[in-house]
Amino acid sequence: MSMDKVMQFKTLVAQYSDVKVEDMTDDMRFREDLGMSSMSFMSFLGEIEDTFDVELDQETALKVQTIGDALKMMESKSEE
Amino acid sequence: MKTISEIWDHAIKNYAELPAVRWLVKKDIDEKSYKELDADVKRVQAGLAAEGFHGAHIALIGTASVSWISAYLALTTGDNVAVPLDAGLPAEDLLDLLNRSDAEALFLIPKAKALVNVVKASCPKIRKIWLLQEEEDAEFETMAAFPAVSGDVNVVPSKESDLATIIFTSGTTGKSKGVMLSQSNLADNVVNVPYTAEPGAVLLSVLPVHHAFCLVMDWLKGFSLGAVICINDNFMHMIRNMSIFKPDVVLMVPLMIETIYKRLSIADPSIPAEILAQQVFGGNLKIIFTGGAHLDPFYIEKLAAFGVNVLEGYGMSECSPVISSNMPGDFKAGSIGRPLKNVEISFEDGEILVRGSSVMQGYYKMPEETAETLKDGWLHTGDKGYLDEDGFLYINGRVKNLIILSNGENVSPEEIEGKLALAPLVGEIVVTGEENGLTARIYPDQDVVAMKQLSEDVVKAGLQQIIDGYNANQPMYRQITGLVVRKNPFHRNATRKIIRGDAEIDE
Repeated sequence: MSMDKVMQFKTLVAQYSDVKVEDMTDDMRFREDLGMSSMSFMSFLGEIEDTFDVELDQETALKVQTIGDALKMMESKSEE
Repeated sequence: MKTISEIWDHAIKNYAELPAVRWLVKKDIDEKSYKELDADVKRVQAGLAAEGFHGAHIALIGTASVSWISAYLALTTGDNVAVPLDAGLPAEDLLDLLNRSDAEALFLIPKAKALVNVVKASCPKIRKIWLLQEEEDAEFETMAAFPAVSGDVNVVPSKESDLATIIFTSGTTGKSKGVMLSQSNLADNVVNVPYTAEPGAVLLSVLPVHHAFCLVMDWLKGFSLGAVICINDNFMHMIRNMSIFKPDVVLMVPLMIETIYKRLSIADPSIPAEILAQQVFGGNLKIIFTGGAHLDPFYIEKLAAFGVNVLEGYGMSECSPVISSNMPGDFKAGSIGRPLKNVEISFEDGEILVRGSSVMQGYYKMPEETAETLKDGWLHTGDKGYLDEDGFLYINGRVKNLIILSNGENVSPEEIEGKLALAPLVGEIVVTGEENGLTARIYPDQDVVAMKQLSEDVVKAGLQQIIDGYNANQPMYRQITGLVVRKNPFHRNATRKIIRGDAEIDE
């Protein structure tokens, strides 16, 4: 994934979290470390779809736990 | 209107040609009118009768869909009892609930069709399973098994006092309880919630359909008013779907409102409020009814600036479910509104007690739990509160040990503690609800730690692994998102019970 897209992704994450973009690391968990509630995580997934024009499968998306997992998932989506 | 069949007959008589349900098929909107939905209801009803189901408990496992709702109405406007279950539960919990509710048949979401053979093997009472889809399936029966019928179906609808639905709710003792609601329990709740709307009003249903608030207030109340009920296919797409369906009214739990507000608050401040409201709410939204958990009045004020009136109410499955609600033109922020006309309220040591025609018949096959909750017709809610001089009800605490998350889900900490305590490394555990999630506070088993000479880091990693293992099989709201490893055992009272109120003190 291009650096631009990674930044765009992290900026989106930052809208749902108090953690700043520059402090984000790939091993951070959305719920535990970034403080997203179950609902904001779902809403966040919806926004990923809209922003990056991808369609996520909910079951796979819900298994995503960390920033790194999400980036990997999006990379595989953009290869499809 | 005293039964669901009377509510439905009224809708068919008055709104036959109006759209009843809208849903998305890929990116297109599909819809069925009241008359078309009724044709589905009748054919399923006839099919059930032909199979010999009368007075039977029949489960539905699935998310909201036109098939789900036609099956539900076929059961409850006919002579059977619907048992809606949460499709997100682990298979072992679903099997347990199917058996404990004495279900004799099952409507199942196609996505979960791997369950069919497991159910057949583990639930001996179930003799029919249909997938909730119109298309035929190579392996299993589907809704296509019910051929169209012409004219009336020869089924005598259930009476007012007959059982209509069993809804499972988290119990404080750990085991979920089946709330038995009669036909008139549900119908009276529909009739006594004083909200009215013009036929054709658009309602977007975003809550899980197996919840009483969604089932009764979105669907049954919506049908009684001739509303168009639009199905939100996924929480992920709630905001997108608001701009597609352009609802007038939505029922939400507080967590959804908080999430939407966050979205509004980060928008470019130069965008005018009405444009933003159009983008986020679709342009027609005037009312959000909310309940299931406490909402900070802050959000009521904030959403009012976007022309949306947030009306908080109060209820529980045991009351079919609404007990009180703020209404358009009759509300007080911070209160949970006036009690419904069919509800009496009293207090015992500050606890809210409720009596009236929407109060449940009891918990299915749980006489002790029923006796503890229902005393002389008064339902003990477990919530503390008071009525103000104008008759508005307020909540200010809880009596029972149940965690109410802001998504409206009730979680029994003991149930989760019981599961996690099975791991040898867990010595003592208390689960608490914090910031919209659950935290496990664990005092590691000192014998295990000493025997294996485990370091602090290894203990923490080991406990996290136990939690990850538990989380993997749980719906999102029951997952544990915080772990606190304690240095000291929990405080205990004279009878050696852990003092839960002290759980955060570690000294």
